[in-house]
Amino acid sequence: MLVEESIRSAISSIKTNGVRSFLTALAIIIGTAAVISVIGIGSSAEKALEASIDDLGPRTLSIFPSQRKRGGIASGFNPLVIKDAEALAKNNEHNWLIAPAMSGNRQIKYKNSNMNGEINGYLPVNFEVRGFDIGSGRLFTEKENLGRKRVIILGSKVPGELKTSAREILNKDILIAGTSYTVIGVLKEEGSTGWQNPDDDLYVPLLTAAQRIFGTDRLGWINVGISNDTNVDYVMMTIEQILRQKHDIGPGGENDFRINDWSQFSDLRRQATGIFTALIAGIAGISLIVGGIGVMNIMLVSVTERTREIGLRKALGATQKSIMMQFIIEAVLLCILGGLLGIFIGVSLLYLFTSLNDWIFYMPLSAVFGSITFCALVGLFFGIWPAKRAAKLDPAVSLRYE
Amino acid sequence: MIIKTEALTKHYQVGSEKVEALKGITFSVERGEFISIMGPSGSGKTTLMNIIGCLDTPTNGTYFLNNKPVSELTDDELAHIRNDEIGFVFQSFHLLARNSALENVMLPLKYAGENKKNAIIRSNEALDKVGLSDRSSHSPSELSGGQQQRVAIARALVNKPSILFADEPTGNLDSKTGEDVMNLFKELNDNGQTIILITHEDSIAQQSKRIITIMDGLIKSDIKE
Ligand SMILES: Nc1ncnc2c1ncn2[C@@H]1O[C@H](COP(=O)(O)OP(=O)(O)O)[C@@H](O)[C@H]1O
Ligand SMILES: [Mg+2]
Repeated sequence: MLVEESIRSAISSIKTNGVRSFLTALAIIIGTAAVISVIGIGSSAEKALEASIDDLGPRTLSIFPSQRKRGGIASGFNPLVIKDAEALAKNNEHNWLIAPAMSGNRQIKYKNSNMNGEINGYLPVNFEVRGFDIGSGRLFTEKENLGRKRVIILGSKVPGELKTSAREILNKDILIAGTSYTVIGVLKEEGSTGWQNPDDDLYVPLLTAAQRIFGTDRLGWINVGISNDTNVDYVMMTIEQILRQKHDIGPGGENDFRINDWSQFSDLRRQATGIFTALIAGIAGISLIVGGIGVMNIMLVSVTERTREIGLRKALGATQKSIMMQFIIEAVLLCILGGLLGIFIGVSLLYLFTSLNDWIFYMPLSAVFGSITFCALVGLFFGIWPAKRAAKLDPAVSLRYE
Repeated sequence: MIIKTEALTKHYQVGSEKVEALKGITFSVERGEFISIMGPSGSGKTTLMNIIGCLDTPTNGTYFLNNKPVSELTDDELAHIRNDEIGFVFQSFHLLARNSALENVMLPLKYAGENKKNAIIRSNEALDKVGLSDRSSHSPSELSGGQQQRVAIARALVNKPSILFADEPTGNLDSKTGEDVMNLFKELNDNGQTIILITHEDSIAQQSKRIITIMDGLIKSDIKE
């Protein structure tokens, strides 16, 4: 019953001095809000990153064209071409999926609507490598690719851009630079990967794109889908071998392409986000400690103000321990309430941030419980001294206190 | 004998000056007595009450409460004795403003570790004894001065103390309500409650059964009815 009465006394004391309690807890509130939103943003970023890695299929390497240097001097640019991709695809040493692609922006017209969209030349296998699923209609076939057919698949947001719906535009024609293409499918919503938004793009067969739209066999990149248990170094070596041979690069010559391992890249990015999150959270944590000093200060004031009450409680039989408990509970409660308010604000900020940026909202519960526990510990630590002072008050003197 | 003191002294150091608030108090109290400790302001009455009420310890001298020596007990042991054996009534009531009358009366039982159900029953009984059972949910600010003092008396009685101390209990009351409170004390004493009343007013002191007068920290007279 004593604990219950201590909690009730603490609540009523915090309520009675509402404004003062709020101002005291302000640093705690701000600190917790900062910790929570920063950790939340960091975690959401990581989630987005994970999602984008998942988007790339099990594991993807990307080959990009790059400048070839001879004797340290940049000497032109040897493009990646469709034949390179075919050479890679012919190799059956590895169980890999070769997904060459080219892309460019074109004006697109449907009825009276216009839009500028990124058109990608894909093979059917590209969709598998990127993990894209068809929402309505169908994917194009290898036969349509070889026949340079004028068929097109839309990202999920494209019908909206063209002021129509997926259902309505399916099997209709749209115009790309005056030539008509039949919409055979619309993708499911894939979500932004952070640096690309597949929902806004359009997809035609690679050979159609090469011949009819871009008029070139130069590729933007080649994605290589590999399973997770593949030896990446060995795969990279094979790619190098094949492409160097194709590009006539002799021994000692530098590559005119580069190979990105996305998972490596995202590991780095994840590490960087992690360090950044820890840094900001640490700074915010310091503000919690500063908040704790404020709480200690106000608790000392509270002890002085309530000297007579403490004297009375002692006269009625309160031991030092029970007086200490009362004031520690008050300090801890003040910090916990501040923490709860801070969490509420932090989560709201995170929600705002993620919805504005089209991110997944993700708040690790461990961070919520962790920061509440930390607030309670701050209250406990900084409440001890004032509480001790209250407990040590001489009852005879306290009762005389005016 | 409930109380037996021998040559109690209490000295305070105020700056460089030594104040001798009590200079050697020897007296004893039997169960069921109704005593007034009377004297002018500053004579040492409150200091004496604090010591025999176990709120303070003497500088010198010995003090037996219920035949147990008290002078050498620790803070927490004194707290338990105050909770168990002693009830206090103060001039300025000392009620917790944010709590109801009932909660104020329950406070000593909380420190005694009584369970809530029993505490409520016993507190209501105590409020009934002082005639305030219908005011149990009122907060102090909703009660008159006389009612507040009676809540404080109920709180002092709720643990069935061996001694009830009252330091100028009518000092903040008008003469009519002061009279009511005095009548309540008499009634309690008639039912066997030992009471030590502290006052500087002769008219109040005259209503008790024994008057101890102190002056400058010494007993000047000790007169039984
Ligand atoms: N804590 C204290 N420190 C210093 N002097 C005190 C203290 N308490 C009481 N005194 C002094 O002791 C004397 C007796 O005080 P008190 O017992 O309150 O008298 P009364 O209750 O009879 O008015 C006074 O001179 C008072 O100033
Ligand atoms: Mg006095």
